[in-house]
Amino acid sequence: MTYFETKQPLVADIFSRYPDSPQGRRSALMPLLREVQDAEGFVSESRMAEIAALCGTTATEVRSVMSFYSTYHTLPTGKYHLQVCSTLMCALAGADELWDHLVESLDVQPGEVSPDGRFSVQKVECLGSCGTAPVMQIGDDGYYENVGPGKCAQILESLRNDLQPLPDNPVPVTVGDDGRQVLATGQAVGSSVTGLHRLPGHAGGDA
Amino acid sequence: MKVTVDGTEIDLPAGTSAIDAVFSAGGDVPYFCAHKYLSPVGACRMCLVESGSPRRNPDGSFVMEGEGDAATPKVFWFPKPMASCTMQATEGMHIRSAKTSQVVAKAQAGMMEFTLLNHPLDCPTCDKGGACELQDRAFEYGYGASRFGFDRRHADKHYPLSDFVILDQERCIHCKRCVRYFEEVPGQEVLDFIERGGHTFIDTQEGGLPTGFSGNITDICPVGALLDNVARFRGRNWEYDHTPTTCTLCPVGCSITVDARNGRLERIVARENRDVNEAWICDAGRFGHVFASEERLTTPLIRDEDGQLVAATWDAAIDAMKRGFSGMRTADVALYLGADSTLEEGAALEALAAATGTRSVDHAPRYEVSVTAPQATLTDVATADAIVVIGADLGEEAPVLELRILEALRGGLIPPEFAHGTAIADLRLVERPARRPERLAVIGRESRLWAHAGHRVSADSQGALARLTHPDTDELRAVVALLDGAERPVIILGADVLSGAGGSFSANLTDLASRTGARVIAIPAAANSRGLAALNLVPRAGGLPVWRAQEAPAAFISRLDPGVRAAGFTVVHDTHLTATARLADVVLPAVTNYEKRGTVQNLEGRLLPLHPAAIQSGESADLIRTLSALAEALGVKAPARGLRGAQALLADHLGLDLSDLPARGALHTFRRTFAGPAAPHTPTLWTERMHARPLSWVDRIEELVHSDWQLPGAPAAPPARAGGSD
Repeated sequence: MTYFETKQPLVADIFSRYPDSPQGRRSALMPLLREVQDAEGFVSESRMAEIAALCGTTATEVRSVMSFYSTYHTLPTGKYHLQVCSTLMCALAGADELWDHLVESLDVQPGEVSPDGRFSVQKVECLGSCGTAPVMQIGDDGYYENVGPGKCAQILESLRNDLQPLPDNPVPVTVGDDGRQVLATGQAVGSSVTGLHRLPGHAGGDA
Repeated sequence: MKVTVDGTEIDLPAGTSAIDAVFSAGGDVPYFCAHKYLSPVGACRMCLVESGSPRRNPDGSFVMEGEGDAATPKVFWFPKPMASCTMQATEGMHIRSAKTSQVVAKAQAGMMEFTLLNHPLDCPTCDKGGACELQDRAFEYGYGASRFGFDRRHADKHYPLSDFVILDQERCIHCKRCVRYFEEVPGQEVLDFIERGGHTFIDTQEGGLPTGFSGNITDICPVGALLDNVARFRGRNWEYDHTPTTCTLCPVGCSITVDARNGRLERIVARENRDVNEAWICDAGRFGHVFASEERLTTPLIRDEDGQLVAATWDAAIDAMKRGFSGMRTADVALYLGADSTLEEGAALEALAAATGTRSVDHAPRYEVSVTAPQATLTDVATADAIVVIGADLGEEAPVLELRILEALRGGLIPPEFAHGTAIADLRLVERPARRPERLAVIGRESRLWAHAGHRVSADSQGALARLTHPDTDELRAVVALLDGAERPVIILGADVLSGAGGSFSANLTDLASRTGARVIAIPAAANSRGLAALNLVPRAGGLPVWRAQEAPAAFISRLDPGVRAAGFTVVHDTHLTATARLADVVLPAVTNYEKRGTVQNLEGRLLPLHPAAIQSGESADLIRTLSALAEALGVKAPARGLRGAQALLADHLGLDLSDLPARGALHTFRRTFAGPAAPHTPTLWTERMHARPLSWVDRIEELVHSDWQLPGAPAAPPARAGGSD
């Protein structure tokens, strides 16, 4: 059965956002991909072909667009898709240890889903929350900050019971007017940086 | 429009791109992604130039530089080098290429270094080596060294995209030519970039490339990423003997280059001919050449005492023919030839028929009807605003004609021509061009072209022409309205309507063409059917056509395979031991059209030259020489003994001077054509012998050894001397 067969109102709604022309139809590619991924956790080859037929393009182009974005998945993901930041700041703060711990304790490798269908893991590039490293994101939901061994165990335990703890920070990360990132508690992060002050204004042009 | 390139002022037509401006001034700019017949996209960033233009004050005068009379319009230079393939040259623009600008030279060398970061250094094992744009440009414009001391990208080096095309993902430099080619030219969006950045590779999600025109991407790939899998590892580019000639597998007559090595035809690549095939050829023309070097007849064969065909010399074959024809009148020998023979061969056979007095002369395949409506050229097709295709499966009959039709549907924009050749970047061409399917109507059986047509009429092709005169359905009325409303309509007729057409066909066609002002292309049955129709090569009164060859008292059959022999003595002249050749009394070895010198006429009436490639075919002879042997056996004087003689016959009879035909060919209309009843004909592009057998190279070498293949021209091994010093 096709995914969109029973969802004609949704499809009509998505297409109504774009011009009614061949080029306009192709623009609906992204929301259709999103829809499938949100529902199924990944976009399979048959779904690519289905979306291609809806947009009046080819499965090759659908795959091309999809593969450009690292957040679209061609392989099945678990109910909780754990994304561990592995860029420099988090790596310095122990992201590698976090990753090793996840892979070992959950017994999954990237591209796999744990036998109970709950977990899949992925290393991702900088999530933009370096002040709270190491950072982990679950699905599209939000950031879990300063994930050390204790916090990690706590999160996994809750997830095993299908009680997902609230993220520390919803995405996108909030940065204050003063350019400082704050924790969910309101506490400023980046303790080693002191004496931040505003740059002189540029209103006068090249001075 | 005046443009100054490297200090030289030149005059150019408006709309010229900056890259063509530099080439017009005799300069050079390296480029990888631009291609003459594809949209310019500026993907490779190699064609950087410095450029600047004068600026106008609000009152319309130029911003000047200098004092008094020495003042000149000030040139405002762009702060950075610009990609010249996507930049239009404008009035008064100044351009500096690497010749005069250190900035450009450094930018290009840096870009070259960047492009080479992930390019493997496997030129010594790469088929493209020696004819590689990247290699040449790296030599001309690169630093000559890399500062990149890390691991290069590693990816699949042997990734077959189809049976014909193999991809080396490591070599790809992401110029996007192949992706754009499939989108823009055959209109099949089957290739695209997957992933991004340094991980980007080319792939398809459709389970392989569609056959038809996929091989062209191996020509346009500027590196060795996309390679012809039939010719892979068969030779280096400098080892091939390159022969520019004309493809004669179908009546389009595409310009090709035949590459032979050590006497074997190993590869065929497209050659540019703006008037015929632009830069594209079909997969059959490119990959279907294996027959030229496989299982060829290399010596004459005659029957021995046991009735078996055995190899013999030409002298023995002529003696055998003398014996076979003894006691027969020369007029009893029917003369038949294949319709892809050259005009010169046809003239020689026509003259011999006149000398022997035979009434049974024929060529095949051909159609009975001759079309007198105004002739459309392929350029007319590409620039037409309405095209009606009736009863044609272009994929089997004339594939490249299909590409020219699709060219018309995307606007019919033919890149202009400069002194340096076709414009390298025609800025009117865009990615994802808007197509006008409503300009194309297809009538007849379903074919590949249906996917692109706005009007599709499933109808019996034979009656379609009459029904177009008096349209009886809404579909046909729409087609007539399309033709009536168009300024430059073209009608294309295929085998389904031409084969077996008769009666009112010509009248209907002439009527339709004159009423709508349409020009017509009637696709001939074979590569040179149109040219041979100008010669009297049809049965005279009482003569036997090819399909009644078995009734002839004796016959000479050249490069035709009717599968029957004459009642009496039969001579077959062919390249391979065909079913007909197996029945013959004498078999004479023929050369393929790749090995001939001569002239053919394509479907638009263009005379195109054939040149002989260096292919080893033993004692094979073309039809002109073979006919002189036949004449000797028959005891008549051969009217032509060679190409010159045959061309003299054509000059005498038709006033045709073929001695210096331009490489692009020349349009010619013969005043008189000969036609007669013809057998039904269904064109097929691929024949069994054209398919390459899947052989490992070990098997292939073994087979070459077992078939006693030798290096052509190699001196015989000297006898071993006793006590050699080495």
